[in-house]
Amino acid sequence: MLVMVDPIETSVPSTLTESGGHVLVVDDDGQIRHLVAKFLRENGHRVTVARDGREMRQALADAPIDLIVLDVMLPGTNGFDLCRELRKTSTKPVIMLTARGSDTDRIVGLEIGADDYLAKPFNPRELLARVNAVLRRSRTAPEQGAGALGHFLYFEKWTLDIQRRELTNPEGVVVDLSTGEYDLLLSFLEAPQRVLTREQLLDAAKHRIATGFDRAIDVQVSRLRRKIDASEDGQAVIKTIRGTGYLFVPAVTRS
Amino acid sequence: MMRMFDTLVGRTILVSLIAISLMHIVSLWSYEAALRHELSAADETRLVERLVLIRQGLVIVPPEKRDEVAHRLSGGPIKVHWSPTEKAVAGGAGTELWTGLPRRLREQIPELGAGDIIIGGEGSQQDGDPHVALISLRLPDATWINVSLFAYAGSPAGSHGYLLSTTLMALGVVVLSVVIAGWLTRPIRKMANAVRALKPGDDAVKIPEGGPREVRDLAVAFNEMQTRISRLIEERTRALAAVSHDLRTPLTRVKLRLEDLGHTETATAIAADLGELELMIDATLSYLRGEENAEAVRPIDLAALLRTLVDDATDMGGDVTLSGPRALVVHGRHISLKRAFANLIQNAVKYGVRARVTIASEPASAVIRIDDDGPGIPADKLETVFEPFVRLETSRNRETGGVGLGLTIAKAAIMADGGQLDLANRPEGGLSVIVRLPRSSGTVG
Repeated sequence: MLVMVDPIETSVPSTLTESGGHVLVVDDDGQIRHLVAKFLRENGHRVTVARDGREMRQALADAPIDLIVLDVMLPGTNGFDLCRELRKTSTKPVIMLTARGSDTDRIVGLEIGADDYLAKPFNPRELLARVNAVLRRSRTAPEQGAGALGHFLYFEKWTLDIQRRELTNPEGVVVDLSTGEYDLLLSFLEAPQRVLTREQLLDAAKHRIATGFDRAIDVQVSRLRRKIDASEDGQAVIKTIRGTGYLFVPAVTRS
Repeated sequence: MMRMFDTLVGRTILVSLIAISLMHIVSLWSYEAALRHELSAADETRLVERLVLIRQGLVIVPPEKRDEVAHRLSGGPIKVHWSPTEKAVAGGAGTELWTGLPRRLREQIPELGAGDIIIGGEGSQQDGDPHVALISLRLPDATWINVSLFAYAGSPAGSHGYLLSTTLMALGVVVLSVVIAGWLTRPIRKMANAVRALKPGDDAVKIPEGGPREVRDLAVAFNEMQTRISRLIEERTRALAAVSHDLRTPLTRVKLRLEDLGHTETATAIAADLGELELMIDATLSYLRGEENAEAVRPIDLAALLRTLVDDATDMGGDVTLSGPRALVVHGRHISLKRAFANLIQNAVKYGVRARVTIASEPASAVIRIDDDGPGIPADKLETVFEPFVRLETSRNRETGGVGLGLTIAKAAIMADGGQLDLANRPEGGLSVIVRLPRSSGTVG
């Protein structure tokens, strides 16, 4: 919002992304702290930084924080322990920055209560998308917080595990989704039984892909349909609203 | 035959058999020689006594009766004749047994002179029966007593015993050797089995240090070696992982800084380079992590997974098609299988111009075939391409990057899920990758 670099980079808050929040970035690398803070500020968020657990506690006491971006590898108390400690008193959303692979398994396996995770080296736009998504989720269920909200969304006996980023069909079979399909499905599940315009859907999804996202939203929708309509009997899960956009038909529950 | 003596048991049998048989034969032979000597000494004494008696008898008989009396004195192996001249010719076959005879005869009958005893064969030496000796003794009136006698041959029963006892001995040796060698080598065999049962990298499991001291020593030495090896591997792995890990912070910084450059051509190129770098680090790390894949085996829609990969590859500008059923469930590890097929499809696009992915459902397995139109792989390299960090030394690889882990990781992942990965050059050109994964056993979710 502060700097106009080019049209794609400028994030216009849509009805889905809403306005920026106050993000606390905890990382021991000064440059990364600075760069992440700068990037998130440019995309409409207020940012406070902390280098370790002590500074993080201080920052949380000083200002109302909406979301914490927490690195795992920290001097002193590590990110896992900080997250667990935080969860005892608060449901504040947390996005963990992990080492790819091994730490990811730990987050998913240990139920440490993080809302999302991102492996380093991450794509800045991917981080922005995750920040926006988690903020959005925590706002739809205020006071409950995303962390306590659970990570499962259900529709027609299908399950979307937000933490694992994994879709399972009514038979319990894992149905693989591309990043674009996942984002699209998540957008639908967060606003079910509402007509979403192509622009809204595109806006929600476009942050995920750094370069080359030139596929029309229709292609993504048809790919998604091919996967989740496979076991449906005639009734379309995603309805095309002529001239406007799409409607996700089933009711969605979460736990 | 030689293979029989390849084992310790065989060698023990061979050595003991030779040694003990040799000893047995030598001792038997010396025993028999001594026995024969005894026997011939006793025979000689008896013969001397008899000859003395025959002579005394014939001396007192008038000459005209002597031949008749001589006949009556014959018996057993001895035939006696009387004649005015000597019949024996000195020397000849059969005489060597009686070399001590003249001396003993003279001891008994002192009047016998040097020429009065002739020991020899009957008639000429050549055609004489070797078992018949003829002894001529001169009487005081210059007539002769001719005693023909059969030499005693060694008892034929003796050679039977010889063979039997040797055979029995040999049998005993074989049985004992089998038992002893079996007992001695059992700890070694047990150790070999224990070593075979060890899994590489499983340093917690040691082979049991039991058995005789030599085997115990070997086991201890082996366990020490195993500890050293696993420590070495661990250190290497940790060092490599640390390097890859430490690259992440600068890589993250570069990615963040790229945001400031906007969407210039340079920024896009740098982003692409970064992507490649990241893929290489990921591949190395996931290879090094190897076995410790904590992912759970779950039912997976393989068709949806391949659909995602094919769509992604198409979005990246690749020429990739997919055909087959809309859904096909297998049991496996989602992330590692996805990585495996991503590698295979990427390879096909990179090296083989275009990729055609076909899914087929067989009763027991899902068969996924990835055909490309590339140059294929030389027949002698079809196996080596699966080895880590091996890349084909052909020009087509130079601009394609990668570290040579794609196929290694793919094969490991597919085999971990009970599958099989085969490469084949198609006759019409291009490479064919054939993956078989076991179908779900009907129990779903």
